[in-house]
Amino acid sequence: MAEIDFERRLERLFADAPELADAQAFAQRVEGRLNRGWTARRWLLGAAGLAGGVIGASQLVMSNIFSQVENAEQSARVLSQGIARVTPTTDMVSALSGGYGLWIAVGVAVLTMGFVLARVIEEI
Amino acid sequence: MPMPGANQSSFASLHDVELCSYSAAGERRAFGELVRRHGSSVRHLLRRMGAQAALADDVAQDAFLAAFERIAEFRGEGTFAGWVKKIAARLYLRRLQREKRLSALAAEEGAADEAHTDGDADHRIDLDEAMKGLSAAERLCVSMCYGAGLSHGEAADALNLPLGTVKSHVKRGLEKLRARLAPGAEAKTGDAVLEGRRGNG
Repeated sequence: MAEIDFERRLERLFADAPELADAQAFAQRVEGRLNRGWTARRWLLGAAGLAGGVIGASQLVMSNIFSQVENAEQSARVLSQGIARVTPTTDMVSALSGGYGLWIAVGVAVLTMGFVLARVIEEI
Repeated sequence: MPMPGANQSSFASLHDVELCSYSAAGERRAFGELVRRHGSSVRHLLRRMGAQAALADDVAQDAFLAAFERIAEFRGEGTFAGWVKKIAARLYLRRLQREKRLSALAAEEGAADEAHTDGDADHRIDLDEAMKGLSAAERLCVSMCYGAGLSHGEAADALNLPLGTVKSHVKRGLEKLRARLAPGAEAKTGDAVLEGRRGNG
């Protein structure tokens, strides 16, 4: 019993550590390191995003994407003309490739902008 | 869940568990408040384990940074201070291992600093003083089990020692501490102070 009492007393003695004189300075040093790490991480993510964007854009340019898109549009037009001969519901196909596609792209862009704005406000 | 418009003083009134929740959401000022509250006890623990003040501060800083990174793992089952102390104790041991000092310390027998409590009448007998009477291995084992809250098994794993060795270090350490922290030992020192004063007066 005395053994257990002494062990409890020892645990209390370990827990009751007096505050050190430079406790405030110590906390500020830790916060400083946390903030430095956070800033470095944000720069790293930004740099990685920029690099990814540049690489992606250059890949698009180098793969001649624009002429391929033109070809694809032409093919779609020929295809829809072909389908129009078969069935009268070609309006839907052209709407998907033109009108609806545009609206979906606008919706995604608005969502992305909303997400970016929310992140920026959170950071501020 | 960031706290809109929060400043440091608004965090000061919160409980540790709430501060942990804010920290887990990335609120660094909430974590700063936790460091302010528990920094000294973590640094004291490392000093009691035998670290010099500068090394203790260094390891304590690393321990708090590691705790921030892993704050989502803290489920509030024990206290936040206890959780950080375990991280700090393990980091300190890892540091000793890296510097190849751990095996030498853990194997060390006896060789304690005996001079501090006896005859130094003006010195209050407290835990820090009493710990100086323990060998390095005893100090490590006792601090880890009673300061950092590790079980004997966990301490044995962390120290890479057989369980029986850790138990005997703890047992010997406790015996020494009991002798030094006993009310009689303190009274003896108190008497020595009075005697000394009477003798001088």
